[in-house]
This record gives sequence, C-alpha cells and structure tokens, in this order.
Amino acid sequence: MQTIIQNLVFGLFVGSIYGIGALGLSLVFGVLKLLNVAHGEFVMIGAYACYWIFVGLGIDPFLSLVIVLPLMFGLGLIFNTLLFEPLTRLETETKIRNSLLVSFGLGLVLQNGAQLWWTGDERSVQTSYAGLGFNIGGVVFPYTRLATFALTLIAIFALWFLLQHTRLGKAIRATAEDWEAATQAGINIRWIYLVTFGLGVACAGIAGVLLAVTFGFQPNIGFVWTLKALIVVVLAGTGSVFGAFPAGLLLGLAEAVSGLTIGADYREVVGLLLFLTVLLVRPQGLFGKE
Amino acid sequence: MNIQPAEIKNPKSKIRNTLSVWIALAGIVAGLVSIPQWTTNANALNLLFLIFIFITMSQSWNILGGFAGQISLGHAAFFGIGALVMRVLWIGGMEFFIAMPIAGVVAALCAFVVGIPTFRLRGAYFSIGTLALAEALRLTIANVLPTVSTMPARYIAAFDLAQRYYVALAIAVITMLATYLLMRSRWMLGWLAIREDEEAAQATGVQLLWHKLAASGISSFFAGLAGAVFSFQQVSYYPSSVFVATWTFDPVLIAFIGGVGTLIGPVIGAIFFIAIREQLVITLPSLHPIIFGIMFILIVLVFPGGLVDIGTRLQQWMQKRRVKSS
Amino acid sequence: MMLEIQELSASYGDLPALRQVSLKADAGKIVALIGPNGAGKTTLLRTIVGLHRPTAGAVLLDGKPLHHIPAHQIIEHGIALVPEGRRLFGGMTVLENLQVGAYSERARKVQAQAFKQVFEIFPVLAERRDSLARTLSGGMQQMLAIGRALVASPRILLLDEPSLGLAPIMVQNIFTVVQRINRDGTTVFLVEQNARTALELAHDAYILEQGRIVGHNSAAAMLKDEQVRQAYLGYGGKAEG
Repeated sequence: MQTIIQNLVFGLFVGSIYGIGALGLSLVFGVLKLLNVAHGEFVMIGAYACYWIFVGLGIDPFLSLVIVLPLMFGLGLIFNTLLFEPLTRLETETKIRNSLLVSFGLGLVLQNGAQLWWTGDERSVQTSYAGLGFNIGGVVFPYTRLATFALTLIAIFALWFLLQHTRLGKAIRATAEDWEAATQAGINIRWIYLVTFGLGVACAGIAGVLLAVTFGFQPNIGFVWTLKALIVVVLAGTGSVFGAFPAGLLLGLAEAVSGLTIGADYREVVGLLLFLTVLLVRPQGLFGKE
Repeated sequence: MNIQPAEIKNPKSKIRNTLSVWIALAGIVAGLVSIPQWTTNANALNLLFLIFIFITMSQSWNILGGFAGQISLGHAAFFGIGALVMRVLWIGGMEFFIAMPIAGVVAALCAFVVGIPTFRLRGAYFSIGTLALAEALRLTIANVLPTVSTMPARYIAAFDLAQRYYVALAIAVITMLATYLLMRSRWMLGWLAIREDEEAAQATGVQLLWHKLAASGISSFFAGLAGAVFSFQQVSYYPSSVFVATWTFDPVLIAFIGGVGTLIGPVIGAIFFIAIREQLVITLPSLHPIIFGIMFILIVLVFPGGLVDIGTRLQQWMQKRRVKSS
Repeated sequence: MMLEIQELSASYGDLPALRQVSLKADAGKIVALIGPNGAGKTTLLRTIVGLHRPTAGAVLLDGKPLHHIPAHQIIEHGIALVPEGRRLFGGMTVLENLQVGAYSERARKVQAQAFKQVFEIFPVLAERRDSLARTLSGGMQQMLAIGRALVASPRILLLDEPSLGLAPIMVQNIFTVVQRINRDGTTVFLVEQNARTALELAHDAYILEQGRIVGHNSAAAMLKDEQVRQAYLGYGGKAEG
C-alpha cells in the first residue's frame, strides 16, 4: 500500500514537470500556430544552464531560475527571429508543417551542439539537501520534489495571471483567437509572437531546471521531453493552454500506475498509447471543448 | 514542384536524349556491379552498401512524404519490421531471397493496418501520431527482445560482403525503377493532388484513404526491404536498434536535402549524407548532425527544392552567362 | 475633407479585385458603399486598414497617405473597422473584448470616457460584461463588435455588412445606433448589401461593381434613381421585400 501511494505521489511530482514543460509548447502552438518539436531540446538546455550555474557559481538550483528564466526567454527571442519569424505569413497548415520541419532541424543542432560542447556524460545536480525530506506514514516527501511541485504551481499561477489580467496577456489571447482583429485593435502581432515564443521557451527552461534537480540528464533527453510535451498537449486538447497542467499530472500518474501494474519497462509505452488513443478518438483532447 | 523538367524541342532529339540517359544509367549500374570484381576493400564496399540502404530508405519515404505529402515520422517502424522478419526467417533457415520479399510484404501489410486509423489524422497530427506509434513499437521491441541478435557461426563463416553489396544495390535499383514507374502512373497524379490540396483533391474524385494507403504500403514495402538487407548484413545488433527514430530522421533529412518530391533527390542526398558523415565519423561525430540540421533548416526556409534545385539553378545561371559572353 | 481614396487598385495574386477606385468620405458624414456580392467591398475596407496591400493608388487621411502604415497603427490614426462576420474574440469576455479594443495608445488616453459612452449606447453590454463573447446572440455580438471599435474613439468608423445575419428588428436597432454615433461626430463609412436601409441612412453613396466605382451620388438621389432602384432596391419587376 505504501509503495503504491509513494509511486502515485512521485508520479504527481514528475507530472507537474511534464505540465509546465507542455504548457510552453501549448502556448506557442495556440498563439503562433507553430509546432516546435525542439521544445524538448530547450528543456535540456534549461537543465544544463541550471547545472552549470550550480557547479560554476555555486548558486542553488531553485534560485538559478532567476538567471535561467531570462536566459531562456532571450534564447527564445533569438530563435524566433532567426527561424520562425519567416514562417508567420504562411497559411496555417503549411506554417505548422514547416515549423515542425524547421524545429526538427533545430533540435538536431541543439542536441548535437550540447553533445559537442558538454559531452555525453550524464549530469545531475546534487544539492546538500538532496536526500532530505519528511515521512508521512511511510510515504516519503523529499524537499526537492515538494519544492518542484510548489514551483510549478507558482509558475502556472504567474502565467495564468499574466494571460488573464494584464494588458499584454489579453493582447496575447486576442492574437491567438484572431490575429487580424487583434491587429485592428492596434496590437503589433509580430511583437506578441516574439514575446510568446520567449515565454514558451522560458516554460521549457523551468521544466529543465526542475528536471535537473529530479533526474540525471544527457544532451539526448530532448527527444523524450518533446514527446512527453506532445502527449500532454494532445491529452489536454491543443486549444487548451491551462489544460496542459492537469494533463501533465495525469500523464505522471498514468506512468506511475502502469509502472506498478504492468512493469516499469512499459511506462513510456502506456503514455504513447494513451496519446494515440486520444488523438484518434478525441482529437479535441480530454480537457478541450468540442 | 519540379518532377519532370521535360524539354521538348523536337521528338527526335527527345528520343535521343532519353536513350542517352538510359545508356548512361545502365553504364553507372554496370560500373557499380563491377566494383567488387576489382576491389575487396571492405570499407569501400560497406560505404557503398550504406549509400544503397539510404537511397532505398529515403526514396521510400519520399513516395509517401515527398509525393503524397504525408510527412510520416514513423518510417523507422517499417525498416525495423523488415529487419526483424528477415532475421527471424533467414536465421530460421529460409533462403534469403525468399525471406526478403516476405519481410517487405509484412512491412507493407503493417502499414496498411496502421494506416487505416492514422490517416484519419491530418498534417502535423499525422506526423506526431506516426512518431508516437513508432516510438511505442521501439520500446515494446526493446522490452520483448532485449538481447543482442547474433548471426550463427556457420552464417558468419559463409559471410560474403560482395553478396550483401549486390543485394543492396539490387534493392536500391528496384526502388528507383519502381519510383520512376510510379511517377508515370495515375497514382502519382492523385498523390500530388493530395499533397497540394487535400480537400480539392477529394472534390475532384481522388479517393483519399485509398491513395494514402497505397502510398504508405508501397513506401513501407521498400523500407521493409531496406531493413531486411540491413539485418542480412549485420553480424550482431540489438533488435530494437533498427527501430530507433534515427532511421526515420536520416532518410527525411536526405530526401529534403537532395530534393523532396523528386526522383533523383534521394540519390544525391544519400551520397552527400554518407560522404560527409564518413569524413567526420572519427574526428567529430556530433558535427555531422549539426551540419545537416543547419542545411535542413536552410532548405526548408530558403531552398525548398534541395540540392537538385540548387544544381539546376546554378546550371541555368551558367548557361545564361555563357550566352551573354558569346 | 477627410478620408480620400485615389485610383486604388488591389489584387489577389493575378486576380484584380479593385480597379482604380476613387471615393471620398467627408467629415461628419455617413457614406454608403453598395454593390453586389464579390464586387470588392470587403477588399476595399481591408486595403484601407492595411490588412491588404494595394498594387497602385493611395489612401489619404486629411491628405496624408495611409497605405504604407503597418496595419496595427491604423487605429492610432483614428480609423476603426467593424469587420464582416464580427470577428470577436470568442473565448474572451465582453469586457475583455472591449479592453482589447482599447489597446491602442489613442484609446488609452480616452479609455474611461469611451467605455462610459459605449455602455451608454449599449447598456446590454454592461449587463453581460462577464459573458464569453461566443455565448452572445447575433445582435449582441454585432453590438460588441461596434463597441470594440468605438472604445478607441475613432474619427472614422468603417462598418462591413453590419446587418448580415441579423433579424430585421435588430438591423433597425443597429442602424439607429450608427446614426447616433454619427451625430456624436464620427464619420461613418458603411459597406452594405442591404442597399435600401443603407441609402436611407447615408448622406452620400457609391456603387461598386466588379472592382470599379460605377456610380456616385447623394443617397437621396440614388434612392430615386430608376437604375439603382432596379438593380439594388428590388423594384421594377422584382418583388418588394
């Protein structure tokens, strides 16, 4: 019983990282109509950024977010300008297809660049409090995992507040709904696209930092994290930005449950099959509307 | 997109041109056939073997992705299925030339079965759906068949590299010929129509699902053959390693860089790809995907016709200069 | 003089949509543009607001050229469009739609005043301020679309088929509101297929056919013009609606 609960709790913790990672992908897809399959590579870069700040400057990984976030946001601005801006004028379907292709190339470059630069060695961020935690009835709650969960909640609240209650956020949502009507209201949609892409990459950065304190990582993890983010986005429904968080938790739980019932080897398969089922049966997602 | 840049001046010179192209092609193939006669250099033969495999793989992807416009990211699955079926049958005692077509047919049948649900998905959803499916299959194979598959000792003793070379060459030539014939068939019209505008194609009477299934079945048949040749050649490998997404991504890169939706693009792309990879494989193996990643991005954004198109444009530019100067 | 269009041409690829269109909308007037479906009316409006680039000609506001200005800055010059089909932000509330309408610098200066005015004209929008735009009825959506343009306190309001898909009573309501907005000092450029109502409302009118201006007169004169009556007002043989 304890093992089961322990697994579910850890599933939720991991799921929260899936959620924040996928949120970035969903935001970019929803607003810019771009499918960025290099999203996982941005998660990977976020993890390395955290690692080097921790190793090089001795800054606590959670505090490193103060540096990692603007860094990733800036990275997003650069890549959007270089690679995705040229696609904005295309018709939606072509735009999605070409963004998929371009970001696929970008993912290759980032992954192998990281390999070249940082080698393929597995890294992990070992804080002094890494093993600590508390225990409720035999179920362990490590501090790092709790902090991870809390941080994802804070990040999601911040993003929600930004989108719902600020002038910029309303402009982003209006652009997502109808960019021509938004333009007429005086919104410079190129600027909105730029900022939104930056925000999406920053979300990947948060996921990267939280991943770094949870797991070991290598340059090649990007592919898996892109897949996870895609799974979560499809579970949530592609129009539903905030559906990504509960969908992320659900994926974490589903993996935990399948690990318990049919074995750890098939955890990933279950996620993928869940994804395919939803894609085929309910393309609007579990949390999306008709 | 450019498919048949047929230059019609007068019928006679056209026939002469076509004839000379065929003679040149026959010459190239004859040259390739003769190579094992005058060299036993294993490196050279292995390199050419790989080029043949990649020509087959990227041309087969090109049929579905380039002509019919269905950007599948699950092509590795059919390569893997072909490899697996071949390995089991061949090591089980079947003659390789019987096992190989069976491997191709099994891959094609799998593509049919999988295609019925996945072709409900359109555009990018089809792409990520096929990607997920192939990954699920890879993980399953890795769990079911976790150990290395090694050729039995007597197979290794009888191993003849030249034979592998010929088989790979034959399959590359067959794939190219088949693509050439397909380009002159009615199927191709339907595929191009679907690629350009799915709804319009449907409105003019193209049966979407049937055309897509045909493209996918033919494409997967050749991918299965490529996989079969690969497992026929490998002394030992992990069964799941032929299912990894690299076996999708590399052919996609090759097709786009050579010239997606053209007959000759995958050939040029494959030669280019393997040549550069060999240059870097010892010194800087990570640099190769970086170079190709950047090239790929440039091709998608700036030169959607790939190397074939760049070559044609260069040729036209030179001709113009020559005309000017004379 | 206020909005002037000079010899404006526009096309979609090789297909010409507007051929040397010239017209004027004087300050304080309601100018109607009528014409059959596909005549290029919507293209003209989209070209005025910068969503479509002309191939030749000019759009002038008080003599200053507008057609090089990025689309998102058009509103800063006091030109607001109520697009065909309303184009609301369906997943956002009524209030949020109005807030987005007031995004521009121009609108922000007069925001409080403009919101008050909009809620005065359309009290129902105040009542439904927290409803999602997509849940409103067609008539209320049209009011919101007009409100969203009005909160920027435009000098010229461009209306593209505001009566489309509305019940007759609602059409009357909307046109009464348009008249009121005009009386408050806003110039109105009205594109309509519902020619009679548009002409009854307008001071001045133009007819656009196949991308060309084929007629121009005072609205009152046009209502009496036999040819116009036959072609656009359903008189002469055709049943009266």
